[in-house]
Amino acid sequence: MFFIPGPVIAALTFPGVIIHEAGHLFFCRLFKLQVFDVCFFRFGNPAGYVIHQEIHDFRAQFFVSMGPFFANTLLCAIFCTTAFLPVWELKVFDPLAYFFYWLGLSIGMHAFPSTTDLSHLWAQAPGLAKKGNVLAIVSLPVAALLVVLNYGRVIWADLGYGLAVGVFAPIAIFRTLAIIGI
Amino acid sequence: MSEVTCNGCGHSFPIRSLFDLNGSTYCEPCAIRASGESGRGASYSPLINRSICGRCNSFIGDSPGVVQIGNLRFCAACAPLVKDWDYPQWLKLSLAVLLLLLVASLAHGRKYFQAGREMYIGEHLVSHGDYAKALPHLQETLRIAPASDKAALLAAKAALLTGDVASASKALEGHNDGRFEDADKPEFKEVNGLWIRATGALEKAAQAAKFEDQDGKETEAAQLMHEAALAYPEMPALAFAAESFEEGVAFVRHDYDTFLAIAEKQWKAQSMPQTAAAVASALACKYAMTGDLAYRQRSEEMLEKARQLANGNAEALKNLDEFAERNRFRLESRQIIGREEYNRRFRSEKTSK
Repeated sequence: MFFIPGPVIAALTFPGVIIHEAGHLFFCRLFKLQVFDVCFFRFGNPAGYVIHQEIHDFRAQFFVSMGPFFANTLLCAIFCTTAFLPVWELKVFDPLAYFFYWLGLSIGMHAFPSTTDLSHLWAQAPGLAKKGNVLAIVSLPVAALLVVLNYGRVIWADLGYGLAVGVFAPIAIFRTLAIIGI
Repeated sequence: MSEVTCNGCGHSFPIRSLFDLNGSTYCEPCAIRASGESGRGASYSPLINRSICGRCNSFIGDSPGVVQIGNLRFCAACAPLVKDWDYPQWLKLSLAVLLLLLVASLAHGRKYFQAGREMYIGEHLVSHGDYAKALPHLQETLRIAPASDKAALLAAKAALLTGDVASASKALEGHNDGRFEDADKPEFKEVNGLWIRATGALEKAAQAAKFEDQDGKETEAAQLMHEAALAYPEMPALAFAAESFEEGVAFVRHDYDTFLAIAEKQWKAQSMPQTAAAVASALACKYAMTGDLAYRQRSEEMLEKARQLANGNAEALKNLDEFAERNRFRLESRQIIGREEYNRRFRSEKTSK
């Protein structure tokens, strides 16, 4: 395992950072939360942030915390799907395809919510899950997994996640389409 | 030190020890109680915080333009931001560019989607053993992406397992001149094994064809062709050729009934100039042996059929002309001799003249 400083990784994958923070801001605005400060990208730790008011509504908390995770994952899957075939399967040297794949991976690498986001979710979810809140029930395993993966960032779990989405999502999509005959 | 009255208990306290809850001022015990009574979400904050901007921490006191949002107060500059933090212009532009890139990537990827789709369909068909149907799909993939290891190996496998060595060769040779990334991959090893088996069989078949042209080596030729057919059963043409070589064996043994039976069977299976000519040859042998004119007539009819089938095929017509001359000799002389003998007797003489 080799060490690359966080700011270097963030700089190499800056589109993902910006999209992640834009996702936070989007959901803050959607739920009409007060936003005190936003940084879309910087050379530091964290590479970006959105400071918003304390959230008491679990639905808002869920979407503000997890929204960027889903948005980044979806965008990663789309960009990587468009470039997956020439890069991995067909072995066609197409610079544009490699650019799209880098873009997809950069976005996918920054899908994970921060530990702060997850801690807020984690604090509220168990109590609400006991009361039968569906969103809380759904969020529990996802949040638990993401907490573990977040700690795995030191061993490139974020890159691993990006690659997993960027490889397995296209394979699943193309194979399914081929099998159902589309 | 200025003091303010608590809205809960009515006592006066220094400002720095008081709290604000929903616009009312409380001492700490009253703030805790009032917060509990207000229910979910009610939180109190130090009253002194009302004097500083909740965002930029600048002193706002009672200055005009101060805006209260929730529990916090903000200066005139920060309040609009906090109320409605807008997306920066560059971000809006970037998102627009991202959307354009998304569309561009989808448009750019179209030809690859087509190639990939064909490859996955081909792969699916190969995994179900439907090699003949898989081959055109995989060939379409290779047309767009000839360097794809996966498509080349799948196409070669499908071709080899349908007896189409030429297509397999094209797929493999067209792929970086036959070089592959990883020769240890099971997929490569499988295709390599098939390729060795198929080309080995074809070499035997070529050797058998050489023997077939030589008088007296008919048995050896048939044996080699049978070995080739056995080694590569996926190519039915080899088994067909092996059977046709049995005609030569029967001819050498003067077993013209067997010769005719095989020739007629082959003619029924595949109506081609060669099979028609073989029937004509066998019938001519029968005529030579029996003198039965019916055999002669049928022999001539079959030769005519062979000509009709060969129409437009210069190579086949040339072969038929060569055969027709020998067949005519057989019918007219009622002598049965092989090609080499015929050439020795008549053609070398012609050549020397």
